[in-house]
Amino acid sequence: MTSAHPPPAPGRELSNPPTDGISNLRFSNHSDHLLVSSWDKTVRLYDASADSLRGEFMHGGPVLDCCFHDDSSGFSASADNTVRRIVFSHGKEDILGRHDAPVRCIEYSYAAGQVITGSWDKTLKCWDPRGASGQERTLVGTYPQPERVYSLSLVGNRLVVATAGRQVNVYDLRNMSQPEQRRESSLKYQTRCVRCYPNGTGYALSSVEGRVAMEFFDLSEASQAKKYAFKCHRKSEAGRDIVYPVNAIAFHPVYGTFATGGCDGFVNVWDGNNKKRLYQYSKYPTSIAALSFSRDGRLLAVASSYTFEEGEKPHEPDAIFVRSVNEIEVKPKPK
Amino acid sequence: MPTPKIDPLLQVETTCGTLLYELQIIWDEVGETDVDRDKMLLELERECLEVYRRKVDQANRCRAQLRQTIADSEAELAAICSAMGERPVHIRQSDQNAGSLKEELSKILPQLEEMKKRKIERRNQFVEVLEQIQKITNEIYGSTESFSSKTVVDETDLSLRKLEELHRQLHELQTEKSDRLKQVQDYLSMLNELCSVMGMDFKQTVDEIHPTLSDPKGFRSISNNTIEQLATLIKKLREVKIQRMQRLQDLATTMLELWHLMDTPIEEQQMFQNVTCNVAASEHEITEPNTLSVDFIKYVEAEVSRLEELKSSKMKELVLKKRLELEEICRKTHLVPDSECAIEDAIVAIESGLVDAATILEQIELQIAKVKEEAFSRKEILEKVEKWLTACDEECWLEEYNRDENRYNAGKGAHLTLKRAEKARALVNKLPGMVEALASKTVAWEKERGVEFLYDGIRLLSMLEEYTILRQEKEQERRRLRDQKKLQGQLIAEQEALYGSKPSPSKPQSVKKGPRYSTGGASNRRVSLGGAMVPAHKPDSLHSAKATPKTRPSKKSDHLNHRQDDGIPAFSAVRRGLDIAETPVRKHSSTPSAVNGKEPESPLLVRKPFSPISSAVSSKANMTNMLEVEDNGDTSHKMLHPSNDLSHTTTPLKTIPLVDEENRTPKAMPIIPSTPSTLSVPMQTAMTPAPSLAPIPFAITKPVEEIEQSFEERRLASLLSKIQMTSS
Repeated sequence: MTSAHPPPAPGRELSNPPTDGISNLRFSNHSDHLLVSSWDKTVRLYDASADSLRGEFMHGGPVLDCCFHDDSSGFSASADNTVRRIVFSHGKEDILGRHDAPVRCIEYSYAAGQVITGSWDKTLKCWDPRGASGQERTLVGTYPQPERVYSLSLVGNRLVVATAGRQVNVYDLRNMSQPEQRRESSLKYQTRCVRCYPNGTGYALSSVEGRVAMEFFDLSEASQAKKYAFKCHRKSEAGRDIVYPVNAIAFHPVYGTFATGGCDGFVNVWDGNNKKRLYQYSKYPTSIAALSFSRDGRLLAVASSYTFEEGEKPHEPDAIFVRSVNEIEVKPKPK
Repeated sequence: MPTPKIDPLLQVETTCGTLLYELQIIWDEVGETDVDRDKMLLELERECLEVYRRKVDQANRCRAQLRQTIADSEAELAAICSAMGERPVHIRQSDQNAGSLKEELSKILPQLEEMKKRKIERRNQFVEVLEQIQKITNEIYGSTESFSSKTVVDETDLSLRKLEELHRQLHELQTEKSDRLKQVQDYLSMLNELCSVMGMDFKQTVDEIHPTLSDPKGFRSISNNTIEQLATLIKKLREVKIQRMQRLQDLATTMLELWHLMDTPIEEQQMFQNVTCNVAASEHEITEPNTLSVDFIKYVEAEVSRLEELKSSKMKELVLKKRLELEEICRKTHLVPDSECAIEDAIVAIESGLVDAATILEQIELQIAKVKEEAFSRKEILEKVEKWLTACDEECWLEEYNRDENRYNAGKGAHLTLKRAEKARALVNKLPGMVEALASKTVAWEKERGVEFLYDGIRLLSMLEEYTILRQEKEQERRRLRDQKKLQGQLIAEQEALYGSKPSPSKPQSVKKGPRYSTGGASNRRVSLGGAMVPAHKPDSLHSAKATPKTRPSKKSDHLNHRQDDGIPAFSAVRRGLDIAETPVRKHSSTPSAVNGKEPESPLLVRKPFSPISSAVSSKANMTNMLEVEDNGDTSHKMLHPSNDLSHTTTPLKTIPLVDEENRTPKAMPIIPSTPSTLSVPMQTAMTPAPSLAPIPFAITKPVEEIEQSFEERRLASLLSKIQMTSS
């Protein structure tokens, strides 16, 4: 079952990839370091430009998400219900706190200086990582959600929470007592991923049914008229459409265009404003589990890793590709 | 008597003795007298002495000669040594005379020979160096007299020092020679370049100076004269080059001006690109061959004169163009162009030949410059005027709008008009201030220049005045109307008192306010919630539900049209009817018995395994259905794992959404009325449970929770079960 993907290089493949499914990967905001969480119970720190594994941090269970704090530390969300802080240089991990169920996603807000975690226990928790260890002092607040949290995204003081049951809650980090907006996904199927626009005006939401919705925070009629959804990651075969889940969305930090990755193994780049597809990268060996642009948008990390959409089955090995992004692939093309 | 033969002297003596004895015997015999005998013996003695003396003399002379020879040799040796600057090897000292003279001589001679040989060698060296020096000197100084074939060597000084000195001299000369060669080479390459740039024959030019120069490999004259000549030639050529360059640049400038003036097409310009690109070049930058040749300059000259001709023929056109340009600027700045040189006049003048077109052109250009300058000074005020005028427009529009009785009626873009009115009101309030500021600015401008500020020929101040008066009049009118209205109100009140009926002064359409709200954002959001809302308000919301995911109104109609294209014109109507009969239908929802037996392919069969699934799922399926209807009519759909189904179907790939089947069925059996009803059954069910309107249902209905699982949840569950299995 070794990969036989086509010759056009899908980017440089990092050596020492995780040994089980990749749940997420993220570039640092300060360097080309890449943090990768995986079902093999590890978080790994790579230097993407040097292709070197800088650290490997074992956890008590599969790690479902991770994020950077700064270049020397990060956070992870684990299926053993814990939220951890990892100090890379010491290889030290301390437990920030626990949820009552596996922690699905984690974000660090530079604006609030807080870690935000969403869990399948139907809560959102905010943590102050500066507090001395001990849950009493690190936990800032717990906010019940209508359903299990599936995806989180932050922009400025806005936090978008996507849960099961196609619910979407929009919070203002400065007032977490209740959602600023309660919405329902405009897509008909389970939400896979939600990501805010870098300009803070809205968010993109993808579902398991090959579709992405572009939404806006502003509730005025003029703004809401701009929202739309489009189909992607589909394949027409013998007159039938095969529809694949859209697992990952990543916005380009400079141009505001975005990449989507689906279970079809393709990464597409879209220009949301002009409603155009800018680029499709050649197919990756298996499902795209996660995507991340580097801080300057020159690199795109692609996790090609089976996401269990068809249950237990043999699949291609998990791999991380780092490709350098050509400006033409991500620059908006005006109509 | 045996006498030893060894000694000849002894023999001689014996012989002398025997001879004397013989003589005595003879004399005795003869009987000579003793006197005679003595006399004879004396004579004999004397003769012997004579012989001795002669021999001694001879030996003495020989000795002297030998001495002389030695002295000479020594002297010669000393001379040679001194000439060669060497210490004499051997200096004889008389008192130390070791051997005989002959020995001495034999010692000295080889030395002398040796020295002579060395001297000749040295001399040859000198000759060689001197010859070279002479040769180079001749080359450099160009002495025409061929040097004497025999170089005069100063025999007295053949010392190594002198040789060295000569060598140094030679070396100096050689470096000078190579310097000169280099210089000549430089000059030649410079010349070559100049010649090539100016299209001259290099060989011929060089030949004139010295025939050897044109030969690239052979000997080259490096004499002072040649170098001087080369330098002057280069200077001369450079002067010529600069002259030509200036000429060419003049031509190029003229050419550019003409091109610009006549809008010469680029292709035509392209041919002279190499000329115009040198317009600003300095002398040393022009290196391309032939750019300054006489022929080329003539060629460019021809082009320029052609253009000039063209220009004069086009002059009329040009005047027109410039004039238009002027008018355009005037129009933009609201100036009134001078009428004195109106186009027609100018044309007539040109045609009649009264005026030179060029002078008119010049005049117009001058005017353009003037107008541009003026426009600049007017810019600030003009901007204000522009603002004022738009404000006036807005004021007019507002008045009109205020007069419109239906203005508050909801209609397409009503909110935009409202917004505009709001803005216009704010603007109108600012108008008096604006006018005042504008007036003061204008007055200041006029004072500064002593000219009236004209706007399209009208004095701006008078315009402003007029406007103020008009405004005042309007104000009065308005006041009057208000008074009148008040009066009318009183009148009505009186009438009411009299007759008890009150004619409504308000607009008749005001009733229509209601529906406006339904177009607001709130309902849109509700729409996006999908079918759940259907029971709440039936007739309208069905339509909105169809348009679900896309709230853009245009899509709505698209969607409907498309549906009709698909050949189900009756579809929506039927469904609407069904909506009304909603409740009974719902009862059948999950029972397969509702399935129409006639349709083996009917979606309900496929759906059968899902029947226990909460209706949320099927509702979702229905939604997609509608979405898909939008864009692809009859392609069948296969979804890769809508994960919610997974707990029930092991192979999610097989789930074929109802959608397309539904689309297909009506096509297959177009006018069977019963079909649509079966179709609509699942739809209704879809609507009932309201998939996720409020968080509560999830808490209550457990099955829903079980159904919806993300891949990660399923993965974790499978992982855990695996662990359990291995541990148990």
